[in-house]
Amino acid sequence: MRSFDQLSEHSTRSLAQRTSRRSLLASLGQLLTGAALLPLLPVDRASRAHAAAAKPDSPESCEYWKYCAIDGFLCSCCGGTSTSCPPGTASSPISWVGTCHNSADGRDYIVSYNDCCGKSTCANCDCNRNEREKPVYRPSRNNDLNWCMANADVNYHCTVSVILGVAEK
Amino acid sequence: MRSAHLVCAVVSWPLLTAQVLAVPPPLPAEHLSIERLPPRSPHWVYVYDEVFDNEIDARVFLFDGDSNRRLGQIGAGFYTSVNLSPDGGTTAVAATYFARGSRGARVDVVEFTDNTTLAVTHEILLPAKRALTVPSLFNLAYSADGHLLYAAYMTPAASFGVLDPAAGTVLGEIDTAGCVLVIPSGRYRVSSLCESGRLLSVTLDAQGHETARAMSEPFFNADADPVFVQGIPTRNGYVFLSFLGEVHDIDFSAEQPSFAAPWSLVSAAQKGHWRPGAYQVGAIHKELGRLYVPMHEGGEGTHKDGGTEIWVYDLATHKQLARWPVKSHGLSKVVALQVSQDPAPLLFAATETAQLATFDALRGQLRHVETHVAQTPWMLLNP
Repeated sequence: MRSFDQLSEHSTRSLAQRTSRRSLLASLGQLLTGAALLPLLPVDRASRAHAAAAKPDSPESCEYWKYCAIDGFLCSCCGGTSTSCPPGTASSPISWVGTCHNSADGRDYIVSYNDCCGKSTCANCDCNRNEREKPVYRPSRNNDLNWCMANADVNYHCTVSVILGVAEK
Repeated sequence: MRSAHLVCAVVSWPLLTAQVLAVPPPLPAEHLSIERLPPRSPHWVYVYDEVFDNEIDARVFLFDGDSNRRLGQIGAGFYTSVNLSPDGGTTAVAATYFARGSRGARVDVVEFTDNTTLAVTHEILLPAKRALTVPSLFNLAYSADGHLLYAAYMTPAASFGVLDPAAGTVLGEIDTAGCVLVIPSGRYRVSSLCESGRLLSVTLDAQGHETARAMSEPFFNADADPVFVQGIPTRNGYVFLSFLGEVHDIDFSAEQPSFAAPWSLVSAAQKGHWRPGAYQVGAIHKELGRLYVPMHEGGEGTHKDGGTEIWVYDLATHKQLARWPVKSHGLSKVVALQVSQDPAPLLFAATETAQLATFDALRGQLRHVETHVAQTPWMLLNP
């Protein structure tokens, strides 16, 4: 956990302290795009219930373990999945991260919360969970920012939750 | 038979006459007009509605706490920052718009609304760098004399824009070395919150050029107990509350901020169990020195949960004066608080189900509940 924290904090500090930012954003985007290709844990996509009624082990429920630091609309309820943006949107190359406990295997995971951008708010499955979430002066852990901010179209649609790896104890 | 009809006619004639006479005259023709606002009242409150289900269409509602009427509306675009000028005469709204409604070319703009007419008077085009985040008083803020306006930028690199609201121009951009938001003080000084727990303070001249900068000692620990960024104005500066309920009272009246010893909203037994939480985590009546905080029972990660009670403190003695539960009034959790600054103050509380409750701020008596005042009322401002 510590190493990932340090990585994300270092990235954010570096971002914030440079005046020429496009190259860094591009690099971070490549990093996260690569991270999205990491092997993912199997998840239950069977449920089609609304977030309020969905079972806690469903990716359409706010209580789903990966969503421990999400504040926004679940892409799982908007035409995407917990790891894919809905059709016609664009994924944000930058994100905030959370550390979530998966009770199924007893491990903590670093989760990247990327926004999906370019359409109006999905307005379905609004979730607001803030475990270890920090204010905007620590952007890498902040879910109040519109993380579509560096996209060509900054309109916010929904949020995905992508496992980056196991958090080291 | 004929005579009977005649008798009936004679008897009913006065009744028919009375009925004819009872028909009211037709309504007069009406004239279409534009309503004019009444004179400004200290009991007005500006309700910022994020409209979270449709964020491209945020609004600011003007509500009168005496008549309990909505007086008008200001359009506010997407992911908006809003603040009032120091004289209360202008509402500044920094918004983002898209060329084709929900998509297309991005335009960032500050729009100025005359608070006597609620009409937009002019605007300033901004670079596409505006911080797109939840509302606080420090996303967009005026200098004390109203001559300069500061707009927080985040791309996510942090900086701020210096604007001339009268001339309608952008004067420049100041890099803040990773520190965020614009906390105004002095004549032309802007402080920003840093991840290290410090305040960066940049001094400007009247043309918006940087003349000095200084970094304070740390006053909070972002790992152990971060502060909410929604600082609350006091007579000499701002109070910042921490997630666990520490009160950081910072005097911004001198050249550099000075920090009073922090004190706690909660007892040792309550610490970690009762805590502040909301989108706007408190309000202060400056003359009375009273602090109002939405409080709830909850653990780590509940800092955005609204308050089930409003706790009242004396800022000078740090004594708790009252605890006002809100559920008994039929209110849901309080997500934003504001208090009027007059001698007979009203306390306004917006809830997670979009109620706007008005209390007597001295005694806690509920005066009114306006239901469905907005969709997501996350910040309240008053002149």
